[in-house]
Amino acid sequence: MVANSRQPDVFSAIAHPARRHILDLLGKEDRSVNAMAGHFNMSRPAVSQHLKILLDAGLVSEQRHGRERRYHLLPDQLTPVRDWLAQYERFWDDRLHRLQTLLAKRSKP
Amino acid sequence: MTKTIQRELILPQPPAEVWQALTDPATLAQWMFPNDFEPRIGHRFTFRVPPNPQVNFEGLTVRCEVLECDPPRKLAFSWSAGGAVENTTVSYRLEPEGRGTRLFFEHSGFEITQAFGEQAFKGAEYGWARMHKQLASTLAAASASNGSDL
Repeated sequence: MVANSRQPDVFSAIAHPARRHILDLLGKEDRSVNAMAGHFNMSRPAVSQHLKILLDAGLVSEQRHGRERRYHLLPDQLTPVRDWLAQYERFWDDRLHRLQTLLAKRSKP
Repeated sequence: MTKTIQRELILPQPPAEVWQALTDPATLAQWMFPNDFEPRIGHRFTFRVPPNPQVNFEGLTVRCEVLECDPPRKLAFSWSAGGAVENTTVSYRLEPEGRGTRLFFEHSGFEITQAFGEQAFKGAEYGWARMHKQLASTLAAASASNGSDL
């Protein structure tokens, strides 16, 4: 279960609400930093800092369009998160099965 | 977007018996982990998940606080394990079902991005459907062998 230490970059990248919001925005369309900054109560450099973390984690790519850089979501990179959630499901299935087995044993004379 | 894990079980034992297994620390330790649980709202406790060197897992402390405690009907506690699992909520709801209990389990509050939800979730749901089948056959096998694996 909860072996999130195996993929620290992706997990710490999505741990911050602002970065999750960036990913949500990029999920709709590619955007520049300026286009995104309007959605946040923070400075453009602060948004850039969060983007840098997302770039380093491989969740986002950067493309030049003339003088502007646009950012693009790479959703496949979230696979470790999906796998990890599936592990959590398996964890609870296993625990609830143990609960059932324990109760069955205890209610026998 | 947040993701919720939900399960529903029918147990032949009455609610009082199921409640005891959910709330007695020693019993709880047998199917969960060592803990210092107490059944009262506001009580803070931990589950100590032991390390497993075989899968390179170094162990973990899950921090919890009792949020609801209404014996033998509803138990809820927070579950913080670090990373994307801070302040999630685990809850159990018990309803009498004949002489047994219908148990509704829920673990809610996983913070997942919308992007992940919309674009990457289909594959995951396929995976879970497959896993449920595996669970069903595991349970069938376990009850056939009288569940002697505990």
